[in-house]
Amino acid sequence: MSTTRKRRHWRRERLLPYLLLAPALVLLAGMVYPFLLGLYYSFTSYWLQYPNRFRFVWLDNYLSLIEEPLFARALEFTLGFTLAAVVIQVGLGLAVALFLHARIPGRAAIRALMLLPLMIPPVITALMWKIMMGSTNAGILNYLLSFLGVDPVNWFGSTQGAIVSVLIIDTWGNLPFVSLILLGGLQALPTEPYEAARVDGAGPIDILRYVTLPLLSPFIVLVVLFRTMDSLRIFDVIYATTLGGPNDATTNLHIMAYQYSFQWYQMGKGMAQAIVLLILVVIISYLLMRLWNRASESTA
Amino acid sequence: MHLRRRQLAGLLLAAPVIGAGLAEAQDDEALAYYRQAKIDWQQAKGQSLTIGLNKHPFTESLLPLIPEFRKLTGINVEYLILPEAEYFTKLVADLSQQRGEFSVIMTGPVRNWQYVTPGWILPLDDFLNNPKLTDKSWYKLDDFYPALIAANRWNGKTGGGIGEGPIYSIPVLEESYILSYRKDIFDQYNIKVPTTLEEMAEAARLVKKNAGIPGIVARGTPSVASMGTGFMSGLKSYTDDQWSEFDGKLNANFHDPRSVKYTEAWINMVRESGPPNWANMQWYDAMEAFTAGQAGMIVDADFFAANYEDPKKSKVAGKVGYALIPAGPGGKPYSGLWTWALGISKATKNKEAAWLFAQWATAPRTLLNATVGYRNYNPSRKSVTDDPRVQEIMGSWGGGSYLKTVAKNLETAKVIWTPQPERTRMGDVWARALHEIYFQRMSAADALKKASMETDKVLKEAGIK
Repeated sequence: MSTTRKRRHWRRERLLPYLLLAPALVLLAGMVYPFLLGLYYSFTSYWLQYPNRFRFVWLDNYLSLIEEPLFARALEFTLGFTLAAVVIQVGLGLAVALFLHARIPGRAAIRALMLLPLMIPPVITALMWKIMMGSTNAGILNYLLSFLGVDPVNWFGSTQGAIVSVLIIDTWGNLPFVSLILLGGLQALPTEPYEAARVDGAGPIDILRYVTLPLLSPFIVLVVLFRTMDSLRIFDVIYATTLGGPNDATTNLHIMAYQYSFQWYQMGKGMAQAIVLLILVVIISYLLMRLWNRASESTA
Repeated sequence: MHLRRRQLAGLLLAAPVIGAGLAEAQDDEALAYYRQAKIDWQQAKGQSLTIGLNKHPFTESLLPLIPEFRKLTGINVEYLILPEAEYFTKLVADLSQQRGEFSVIMTGPVRNWQYVTPGWILPLDDFLNNPKLTDKSWYKLDDFYPALIAANRWNGKTGGGIGEGPIYSIPVLEESYILSYRKDIFDQYNIKVPTTLEEMAEAARLVKKNAGIPGIVARGTPSVASMGTGFMSGLKSYTDDQWSEFDGKLNANFHDPRSVKYTEAWINMVRESGPPNWANMQWYDAMEAFTAGQAGMIVDADFFAANYEDPKKSKVAGKVGYALIPAGPGGKPYSGLWTWALGISKATKNKEAAWLFAQWATAPRTLLNATVGYRNYNPSRKSVTDDPRVQEIMGSWGGGSYLKTVAKNLETAKVIWTPQPERTRMGDVWARALHEIYFQRMSAADALKKASMETDKVLKEAGIK
């Protein structure tokens, strides 16, 4: 082999990995650039309609959040909603998964039907429910409840009603996701521990408590992780139904950041709020990831 | 038989040709109308325009006519239609970066204040006064209601100057605020049509008690969109136009004692006799509720009547009465006024072409077609209102009371917001105060004082004060 050929060969060898990586790098740049731009704006006074007043303000946007009463309320709602949504959705999802795991007739059909909410875009889901949740008996949900003797529920017109309504809609849309992952987990569990437990005389509750749940824990932590991330930054369902109201009762950090950025055009402040939300998501996700690693190790 | 079939086939084959011929003749007739204008419609031939449009009946009326404009001028037209909230966000993004993506935009008086201050949109007087671009005697600017033209003029000074200075957009419709009520229910239970706020609260209570439906329905979402129509027009009328959202020094004035008193009474009325979901109602929710027979009264846009009186959609067609907004001691209403209107972006490269489009779209014939063909109410031109076809439709609403009410209302209606670029933000702050009062977290005095302080802070931050 001549030296030139050897060199060409060597060059190709060295370049090849970069060439193969190129599409991923382009994709990464496409993700990183807007993020860095947003981060940069969060340190500026960027206000769309006053382009001449653009300047670097360091941490002013972040510090001003402390004095903003809405921020504390939005943060509280963001965390409270996430906690409630995750507990309800994972709890119900587990129940549904256990139900579908049992040998009941027609479970294949039920499983297929369960996928339906996953196929509907969240905004459509939200608007569908908003129509059903009319505050008088003209709303179909209140009409149905009237047969149970329940007085008309003021779904979106009261602060508590709006919070509960948003929770119901979000749960309806995401329950199938949680159930399917947990069902997948249940079906992948080894059979030996169950046989051993039965030999030891354990009842169904004991088996659930001491066998199923510990074995299923990596899957549970996984859905908790996914649902936590999504619930922290939920936007579409809230925006389509309540716009964050009434009385700011359903304003979370994401809605607040949207209002500042796209309603009031204060991009700098809006971006700072979005970055705070991002930091929150990263920290909580990191903690959950550690939990997940521990859970997977202990069951492995 | 054979022959007949062949004849029939021949006829069928000829039909599209004949049809096309007819359409051509109609086209020619329409184009001939525009060609009466003594300007060269082809002067910007080959140029391109993109029009920014909000989803609206006016937009619906414009789209099918755009090919006609292309044929008339040789200008290539594209457009982007978005729902209102997205439309304004996209518009500000385009204008602020002076990209010139939109040449002609759908705007209106209170919006213009936001765009004129940084110099994003063009004054239109130069186009109007240029005989090469506008045939004034054909275009008939005088045909527009004077109040609507005045609403679109502004001298650029924060805190005042509406109706002075350049015109920034040409109105395509008129919207002012009146009281629409269920005449059948009022007659049945002998309820008096209210002329004051107290009477309105009483009427609302009586409707709820007797008919079992909410006595009044209104917009209630925590947004500026809930403030400028019925609520603010009512407040202006309640104070005989003596109150404004700012004092002379541009300090927010929501906590003025008259404003506090009105707000308290108004919120009490809504809480006692309004729908349970008032706080989550957008304009279309309120309009739909009234149209569906779910409310006794609504104080909002006059042209909602087109919906109430449409027997295909409405349960209350023919049962609605129209009256002026309940007034203060002076007895006169002071309604707000809004016009959707067409303006031109400063960043556009093809300014003349943009004006030709705006002129064509607001010409008497085009606007007449928008109203007759697509229910674009209320007309911004007198000639459109006076057209027999329009008179026949609108003249029947409310047993004739509609047109009279609107005409009377327009005598005193005007833009009631004070010009300044942070109107949206301020309105959002104000609307939130109404929620604090409605949900009884704060007294009206405290909540409105807080809204004033917050507004002052924003204006300072924006460098307006």
